[in-house]
Amino acid sequence: MKILVVDDERDVEDLFRQKFRKEIRNEGLELVFAFSGKEALEILETTNPPQVASVFSDINMPGMSGLEMLGIIKSRFPQLQVNMISAYGDTDNYTRAMSSGAKGFFTKPVDFESLRREIGEILRS
Amino acid sequence: MILVNLISLFLLYYLKKSSGPQGFPAHLHRYFKYGMIAAAVLIALGVAAAPPVILFQLLSFVLVGGIIYLILNTPELQYQRALAITPLPIVGVQLLDYLIKTLSPGIHEVIENYLDAAGFFALIWAVTMWLNHRKQMKEVEIERIISKEQERQLRSTAEQKIQLEMLVAERTSEILNQKEELQHALDHLRSTQEQLIQQEKLASLGQLTAGIAHEIKNPLNFVNNFSELSVDFLQEIGEEMPKIADSPEKENILDLLENVKSNLEKIRHHGSRADSIVKSMLMHSRGGTGSLEPTDLNGLIREYSNLAFHGMRANPNPINVDIQLALDETLPKVRLNAEDFSRVILNLVKNAFDAMRDKISVSGSEYHAKVQIRTKEQGDDVLIEVEDNGPGVPEQIRDKLLMPFFTTKKGTEGTGLGLSITHDIIKSHEGTLEIISEEGKFTIFRILIPKSTE
Ligand SMILES: [Mg+2]
Repeated sequence: MKILVVDDERDVEDLFRQKFRKEIRNEGLELVFAFSGKEALEILETTNPPQVASVFSDINMPGMSGLEMLGIIKSRFPQLQVNMISAYGDTDNYTRAMSSGAKGFFTKPVDFESLRREIGEILRS
Repeated sequence: MILVNLISLFLLYYLKKSSGPQGFPAHLHRYFKYGMIAAAVLIALGVAAAPPVILFQLLSFVLVGGIIYLILNTPELQYQRALAITPLPIVGVQLLDYLIKTLSPGIHEVIENYLDAAGFFALIWAVTMWLNHRKQMKEVEIERIISKEQERQLRSTAEQKIQLEMLVAERTSEILNQKEELQHALDHLRSTQEQLIQQEKLASLGQLTAGIAHEIKNPLNFVNNFSELSVDFLQEIGEEMPKIADSPEKENILDLLENVKSNLEKIRHHGSRADSIVKSMLMHSRGGTGSLEPTDLNGLIREYSNLAFHGMRANPNPINVDIQLALDETLPKVRLNAEDFSRVILNLVKNAFDAMRDKISVSGSEYHAKVQIRTKEQGDDVLIEVEDNGPGVPEQIRDKLLMPFFTTKKGTEGTGLGLSITHDIIKSHEGTLEIISEEGKFTIFRILIPKSTE
């Protein structure tokens, strides 16, 4: 089960890999990382339908923002679940993300327990 | 002899008439009155030629002599001296005539012609004197009138002067009062201006800090996340360790790992501290979220001052405080972001508690901590005042008080952002915050916000 994580911060990869070490080792979770919206779209477009089960994306990124990317993904792959991650109390981004078809919204700093639950659900589905 | 009495009558009548504005003492008038009666009686007796003629004639001389004596010896009649001299020759001639006639009628017959002539000359003298006297009297009268007029003018000038002086004094004090008021207004304006300048600086500083906070937040999240992760990993390592055979090296590794774990916990602890500061800083720039709704300000104050009190009592170092609410119950609903504004009340009340706690530790039990919260309608604004009788704010730090990270609290007690955030929230309500304080006595945080922010 592939999950794509999009964030302009490269250390996010290490953080996620370590946080979900057990899931990766024992539960067949496969994490794929992209460091910009453009890169994420390229990864998604290699196959159709994409082999990714779900996307977790930062909003504040240089170049294409997470919300822009969300719009594109939703128009090309309406079935794909996208969860957005952004700063706490960013109500503006929250409403825009949800109205653009995001499945969920996680605030930074990420509460990894709720993220683990979300990923657990995806793995079981 | 009738002539002498006529002279008496005339003199008395004239004196009585000439009494002038200030008048003569009552006893003089009495003399005049009785003298005139006496003269009239003597005239009547003389006309009737009632005996004893000699006695009445003598009395006539006594009367006229008395009158002349009176004129000459009374200070009030001093100016009529000339009048006394006027009839003197006539009286003298008459007296001589009378004496000679009475004592030796023979001689009288011989010198009668001379006496008549003397009488005639005396009459001319009297008339001349009289006219002269009249003239003098008129001059005196004119002088008197002139001096009276001058005096009157002098008096009225003096009165006018006094009135003018009073007016000037009145105006002067008015001007002084106005000057004082203006000075007061100017001082107030100056201190308000200083605070405003400071607040402007703060606004840009606030934006800057918010920007910095935002940039720091992500790296800080990594610090916190990675340290947390590492603690977890060490936990796992700890679980794996018993599976490895004991050795001195293993002992050493375990010891070192224990240190690493404690260090990571410290990183995590201070990371969270930094994180809470960053969160507060971001609160600054958060403005614009949440909307202004008509709010029962008094209710909000009651709720949150109470909350602050119980929060303080439940925390370490509780103090005894008397909270007095003087809320204007006629206050209309105020358009507020209730969530934000409750922080204002919380922050100001907590701030007062902290200030008074310091004073308690210095002053001891003599001091009774008191917080007063007042609300009042003031024109288009609503006034909110939070006053404590704490140590006050020294002049030199008053304008620094609203600056982010300025704190008088020791160590890790405060973030130094409470008042800064409070100020930001008030500004987002288009209000103003003013600090009025006297060292050692009181501090008032005075908030003015418009009744309706459209
Ligand atoms: Mg980012």
